[in-house]
Amino acid sequence: MSRHHDDWTHGEPRLVLGVCDDCENRWYLPRDHCPRCGSGRSSSRQSSGDGLCVAVTRSHVTGEVGGAPLSLALVQLDEGPVVMGRVRDELVPGDRARVEFVPDGTGTALVPSFSRRALT
Amino acid sequence: MAVSAFLTGVGLTPFGRLPGRDSQDWQCAAAQIALDDAGLDPLRIGAVIAGYSTVSGHLMPANVVAERLGVRPEVAFGMSVGGATGLAMVAQAASLVASATAEHVLVVAGENRASGQSSTTSTKILAQVGHAHYEVPLGGTVPAYYALLASRYLWSHGLDDAALAPLPVQMREHAVATVGAHFRQPITVADVLSSRPVAEPLRLLDCCPVSDGGAAFVVSRAPTSERSLSIVGVGQGHRHQHLSALDPEDTGAARAAGAALRQAGLDLAEVDVFGIYDSFSITVAMIMEELGLAPPGRAGAYARAGAFQADGRHPLNTHGGLLSYGHSGVAGGMAHLAEVAGQLRGERGAAQVSDCEVGYVHADGGVLSAHVGVVLRKGSQP
Repeated sequence: MSRHHDDWTHGEPRLVLGVCDDCENRWYLPRDHCPRCGSGRSSSRQSSGDGLCVAVTRSHVTGEVGGAPLSLALVQLDEGPVVMGRVRDELVPGDRARVEFVPDGTGTALVPSFSRRALT
Repeated sequence: MAVSAFLTGVGLTPFGRLPGRDSQDWQCAAAQIALDDAGLDPLRIGAVIAGYSTVSGHLMPANVVAERLGVRPEVAFGMSVGGATGLAMVAQAASLVASATAEHVLVVAGENRASGQSSTTSTKILAQVGHAHYEVPLGGTVPAYYALLASRYLWSHGLDDAALAPLPVQMREHAVATVGAHFRQPITVADVLSSRPVAEPLRLLDCCPVSDGGAAFVVSRAPTSERSLSIVGVGQGHRHQHLSALDPEDTGAARAAGAALRQAGLDLAEVDVFGIYDSFSITVAMIMEELGLAPPGRAGAYARAGAFQADGRHPLNTHGGLLSYGHSGVAGGMAHLAEVAGQLRGERGAAQVSDCEVGYVHADGGVLSAHVGVVLRKGSQP
């Protein structure tokens, strides 16, 4: 599968992680096998959506006419995996961040967007 | 160790915005230079490997080139590993001659990406190295993916936005003296920092241009002249595809280099000249540091101190790299190998690195996703 069946890519406002049934390794992008132990047995778990912002870019180029500028972040979730999302308001590396789901992507889906403000 | 593959022909065209040729024109122009350099008739080529062109998008790139050049190989195929394709083709060619599948292998790439494709189309095609469901729909692009790497790098090392700027300045300094380079006007750190933001913290001069051009090599089972070079080691590393799955401590770069050097029986300290993929300032910084050629967070400071000059500690991309010689798709990463070959042959004139015996070339594809390293050695004694 190239998408978790019940997460934001299917319109459900949540981040879903894969969890290895054998070694408890966790990942974000869907995988058929655990990259650490090779096991093919895994389960899915909803993420809290909280984490540490480790990277932010303000991008002035897109593949869509009129799509820029936009801001993207990498957030290391408290569960471990790194997630890419859009950015709402101010966010810099080192900030605690929390996910929201907003219609900011290139399509109509609600996409993960990280915010410092959402913590308060 | 017994050497089983030789670089016998090198072909590199000028890069730039050079309208008038299509992808196959560039490929065949480069291939002809490489065949002439090797002193070989096209009919002696036993295998052809061709890199993809994002402009032509042909399903059978090696067969098209072979027909046009009058080559009738026993083996022909296209390859695509992003920016690592050029060196991956060389690695495959070395394997084909080592196994005696072919005596001579032609490796070729080229495209008219600058003049034959709009920048919006290029951006959209290249963005597909990101995850189709989890990254691209957010508005991800290749500059944005590398900008995120740059942001994490600067933050984790406590550096400011000026830290990477000496790298494109050094590449430009090399290109000023290189005939055929896309950009040859000198630039300063201030120029880099005042260039327009592309994907912050990366600015225009942190990013390689999109160029037209081609590159080709002939890899052979035996030397064809005294100018032939030995391919003494190849190594690869493929740890992830997408940025969200990248481990910044272990992208695969050091694994590729380690495997190539082990095969060559050489240590990194024995390498005299380097050609390292530099699609962005952050790309070459992260690869140099993962290889151990600069301390963590210090690649920019090393560049500023002159460590990557032709007479520096680690002569690097002495043609100007992707950042200034230019980036014509797959051919872009092959220009580094062409330059290192020129250095090992002692043919680089004022840019010549002295006492040049061993070269290391490294290419990456995707978002530091696919890594291929090649070790070349002067001389062709089997």
